[in-house]
Amino acid sequence: MVQTMNQTVFRGPQFRVLTDSQIERIYGAAIDVLETVGAQFHHEEALDLFRHKSDAVVDSDNVVRVPASLVERALRSQPRTITLQGRSGKHLLRMIPDEVAFGTGSDLPFFIDRTTGDRRRTVRRDVCDAGKIVDYLPEYEFFMSHGIVTDAPNPQTYDRHQYLAMLETCTKPMVLTSVDGEGLNDLWRMACLLCGGPDNFRMRPQFVAYIEPISPLNNDRTAVEKLLLAAEKGIPAMYTPCPSCGATAPASLAGMLVQSLAETLMAVALCYLKQPGTPLIMGGVTTVMDMQTTTYSYGAPELSLASAANTDISKWLGLRMFSTGGCTDAKCLDEQCAAEQMTNLLYAHLSGANLVHDVGYIGSGTIASLDSLVLNNEMIGMVRKFCAGINTDDDHLALDVIDEAGPGGEFLTHDHTFRHWKEWFLPRLQDRSDWDTWTADGSRTIVDRTREETDRILAEHEPEPIDPAIYSRLRKIVKEADQRHS
Amino acid sequence: MSTSSTCSQISEALIAGRQEELLKHIHSALEQGTEAEQIMNEGLVAAMDAVGQRWKAGDMFLPEVIRSAKAMSGAMEIIRPKLIESNVKTMGTFVIGTVLRDLHDIGKNLVAMMMEGAGFKVVNLGIDLEPQVFVDAVKEHKPDILGMSALLTTTMPQMGEVINALKEAGIRDQVKIIVGGAPVTEEFAQEIGADVYAANAAATVDKVKAMMSAA
Ligand code: B12
Repeated sequence: MVQTMNQTVFRGPQFRVLTDSQIERIYGAAIDVLETVGAQFHHEEALDLFRHKSDAVVDSDNVVRVPASLVERALRSQPRTITLQGRSGKHLLRMIPDEVAFGTGSDLPFFIDRTTGDRRRTVRRDVCDAGKIVDYLPEYEFFMSHGIVTDAPNPQTYDRHQYLAMLETCTKPMVLTSVDGEGLNDLWRMACLLCGGPDNFRMRPQFVAYIEPISPLNNDRTAVEKLLLAAEKGIPAMYTPCPSCGATAPASLAGMLVQSLAETLMAVALCYLKQPGTPLIMGGVTTVMDMQTTTYSYGAPELSLASAANTDISKWLGLRMFSTGGCTDAKCLDEQCAAEQMTNLLYAHLSGANLVHDVGYIGSGTIASLDSLVLNNEMIGMVRKFCAGINTDDDHLALDVIDEAGPGGEFLTHDHTFRHWKEWFLPRLQDRSDWDTWTADGSRTIVDRTREETDRILAEHEPEPIDPAIYSRLRKIVKEADQRHS
Repeated sequence: MSTSSTCSQISEALIAGRQEELLKHIHSALEQGTEAEQIMNEGLVAAMDAVGQRWKAGDMFLPEVIRSAKAMSGAMEIIRPKLIESNVKTMGTFVIGTVLRDLHDIGKNLVAMMMEGAGFKVVNLGIDLEPQVFVDAVKEHKPDILGMSALLTTTMPQMGEVINALKEAGIRDQVKIIVGGAPVTEEFAQEIGADVYAANAAATVDKVKAMMSAA
């Protein structure tokens, strides 16, 4: 039998923003920033770690400068793969380069009310509903709270209430925000109850801790406190810069990438000093400040471009990447919304980022919408089809099928069609009907159909419940936190 | 050279954000005996109004607007003492800060710069501030307006705490209070007893001016 040799096959379209030489330049510049400018730390233990456990220089104003040697030792200690697990054990999320998972974002203060259509404050119930939707929809692999629980008894414990609300309706792995180190510790204790203890958590973490530096090059006390706790407990963390070009970072994307990378590498170094091997995921919501409205833009093409560039850098460094997509500056599900969300979903996927978050955000990261989550599921489906590329093996080349049909023949009745059409993307919310059918059906738009689908999921989906004994222990942790803070 | 042509030169330089040129024109106008009040009204304020309008119309953008605002702030350093000397009412003082446990400051700083651009003397207190810091600043700077920024649902209530602290100190009535930040709404501003809410930096200047002229 003839055998094919020396083939190179694309498993999907090839996409890169930066070449290795460009990344070398950015990395070199970031190291330069770390060695000469440094970053400020407002945390004693962190400063002590730099002072006493490394050859970093701590200046009098708590600015830390670290040498390349430390950064590179720290980078080598990073695990190349991290696997998360949902509470029921059914959903695993493995992070290796170029495997792409999608998930929501967190903490949106406002929510589009499904009865009035108006914007109102987000409450616990909304977070449960978002969890249900994410639990049900197949294109989401991880869950962030989407909205923030504003009806918690105390703002200082909202994170525990929020995690419990998320757990009630969602069995997928999560990314969690927290108030401070104490809050993160409680979230970790809650997760340990679900997975059977700290050792199991270390092997198969149930969540990633979301933490942010303050661009430019500043690290506040609570952020560092969380980072050090994550290192201690083996909680994978992401330290995601949120620079807005022109305001808290250079207006040039390359300069912003240099600065963000320096911020990330500083955290990699710190985690290494605390506990070598602490999984640190690279991240960023890297975008521009709109110079007409002052908005931190979630729909700008620069967001997609910079995120994809960051993903290229992450792969070169051997770090996993937390990217951004499915978000918009539009205030409702209109054409702008679809155009922006689709664009940044597509580029995030093409770039090969591991966790693409903020899917469903509207209103520039201030408004939550369940319909937006449902619509994005459809768009992710389209993106995934595109990114799966084209198979060119013998069966897919279909030489025999073309031969059989011959000139003027047909394929509709062919077995090959029957077997292969299911590889196509199957629209659920999009309309491809003809004019008459569409008008006879009430000329409904995709937004109408999306709303119905959201209603259906909310009414029908029943997430796997949490064992009542464990649930009451989870509640106890939340209650105790409330008592401590009352 | 006539006074009006100097005032229009001042306006032009300010709109273009050319600070050096602006200060040169102001000095020469003053030397020629033009009143500070006239320079302010016909030169500076008129120009900044135009900048504001052009910004809203999409003919000017933030980096340009900030340049003008910074130039305005420099010009006011010269003009303000002269206005005070001749007993002319100045735009007044604006104190602003971000509330306790909140570290967001991009929007707050923009508001501060725009208020400088509108001719106010601005005291920017910083971030993560205890209510007492606001109280002390009101006592010290005697501002016409106090601005507070909060970007988190969890820190928004702190703005109410500051207002309570001002009441307790017996100085709530001495100052107008304006609040803002992404999760803040008109409704919330009323709930906590603030005087004004503004959704963005440009709206802040408009609302403050409306409030000042109503007073
Ligand atoms: C950049 C950013 C950060 C940066 C801030 C850097 C800095 N130097 O300020 C960093 C990364 C540090 C950060 C940290 C956090 N952030 Co943040 N952040 C943002 C983001 C993306 C943009 C804010 C911004 O700069 N916008 C651009 C500026 C120009 O606009 P602005 O601030 O809204 O200001 C304008 C108006 O609001 C108004 N205004 C503002 N202040 C004032 C004051 C007065 C008196 C007036 C009249 C008007 C006014 O005028 C301004 C100019 O036009 C927002 C999302 C958003 N769209 O708001 C989230 C957001 C505010 N952050 C959020 C969160 C959750 C956090 C963290 C808690 C995350 C975490 N768990 O670690 C931490 C909290 C840190 C802390 N203790 O404060 C949430 C808040 C959710 C909620 N419901 O409360 C938001 C909404 C994003 C989200 N959905 O998750 N954040």
